[in-house]
Amino acid sequence: MAGGIIVAAVILASWQFLPGLTGTPSYVVPALSDVLQALVDPAAFPRYLSNAGTTLGEVLAGLAIGVAIGLVGAILLAQFPTAYAIAFPYIVAIESIPKVAIAPLFVIWFGFGMPSKIVVVVLLAFFPVLVNTIHGIRGVDRDQIELFEANGASPGQIRRKLLIPAALPSIFSGLELAVANAMIGAIVAEFVGAQHGLGVLILQAQGAMQTAAVFALLIILSALGITLNALVRLARRKVIFWQQDSPH
Amino acid sequence: MSAPLISISHLEKVYPTRTGDVHALSDVNLDIADGEFVAIVGPSGCGKTTLLKILAGLTGFTSGTATIAGAPISTPRGDVGMVFQKPTLLPWRTIVENVLLPVELHRRVDGAERERAIGLLSMVGLRDFADKYPHELSGGMQQRAAICRALVHEPEVLLMDEPFGALDAMTRDALNVEVNRIWRETSKTAVLITHSIPEAVFLAQRVIVMGPRPGRIIDVVDVPFGRERTLDLLGSSDFADLSSHIRTYFEVTA
Repeated sequence: MAGGIIVAAVILASWQFLPGLTGTPSYVVPALSDVLQALVDPAAFPRYLSNAGTTLGEVLAGLAIGVAIGLVGAILLAQFPTAYAIAFPYIVAIESIPKVAIAPLFVIWFGFGMPSKIVVVVLLAFFPVLVNTIHGIRGVDRDQIELFEANGASPGQIRRKLLIPAALPSIFSGLELAVANAMIGAIVAEFVGAQHGLGVLILQAQGAMQTAAVFALLIILSALGITLNALVRLARRKVIFWQQDSPH
Repeated sequence: MSAPLISISHLEKVYPTRTGDVHALSDVNLDIADGEFVAIVGPSGCGKTTLLKILAGLTGFTSGTATIAGAPISTPRGDVGMVFQKPTLLPWRTIVENVLLPVELHRRVDGAERERAIGLLSMVGLRDFADKYPHELSGGMQQRAAICRALVHEPEVLLMDEPFGALDAMTRDALNVEVNRIWRETSKTAVLITHSIPEAVFLAQRVIVMGPRPGRIIDVVDVPFGRERTLDLLGSSDFADLSSHIRTYFEVTA
């Protein structure tokens, strides 16, 4: 704990003093105090907040839709081996496309507003949930399935009372990846073409060579990402209480 | 012996594989009386687990007949309890919720059934663990709970597939004594699959010896000890003679 505080203090102190000591211009690496000043600048802060709200809205909407599609798709695919066999090559194909490269296409299709960003987030978020959930369901212990079958359980009971709960650890692994992907998706989609959002502000600050503002925006972006990730981990610990030692 | 509860005749099971048909079971004939305890021993590949899965209705067979209480077995029946090699408890359910699973799959659990589950847990010394989760119990305690789960819906038949194979020798002996007591107290018909000859002789009234390629019954050995078995039996010369007699079958085929 003490070691962590010392490391953090050294990093922050270096950030504050090294640019000045080495004569690095502030438009390349601004000192920490300049960044903090840009962050709390009363002329800019309300604008930062409202644009962060836009980005967060895109991330949450895209996550909600993407996670829902991933879960339902995985449950269907894991249940019907034929459907899985047919879909598998397409899943691999989609998995290997760098999905952010499709973002420009979505801006053409869905415009400069939030919908095109949400679509990109959905595409990036649903995939890890789909793949991890399928792995989770297919990895369920054969004996546990036979236990249900030997007691005359219906397919619906096996799904509700065994497959889905047993897949929860995998589902949460997918969810953690989905959250990280969703942030990337929203920002990249905003880079490609948008009117609001943190991605737009970062591009504007870069264009005006306001490097301190770029850093300030990155801090807001990181805070969003860390908070969302912490919420997912908290939910994981609450939901999968029987698995105390998480794989991370 | 009265009319058998379980009746198997001329049972054949053939698996088609890429390298040709595998004869998992060949001309298996076996009658098991109501309330009898039968153990099936044999090396891996002798079809003993396949036979148990056929009795549980989990897998079909190629030809022959298999009936429980006169009714042909085709799908899983409600009146069979199954114990697996691993406890296979669901980690997100408490022990008593795990025990009640077979009931819950067919109807709403009522107070009387909850009472019976608690009663079964008391019988195996797990009364105080009813509301704990499986990860809070040792392997032996988990397997005890799994036995309660197999009994909670009052099945006619208790099927056990190497239930103590994964446990250490001392826990195993203690649980065997408990299984003997549970069998005497509940008067269930019990079928035990095991690769341990002493375990089979200790628990069963009859030991069915199976051999591989094709899986078939090579002998049926009557065990002349009384219904109540204690650990003293393990040291007796009758017990040793019977065990070594059964062992001779596997020395020849190995």
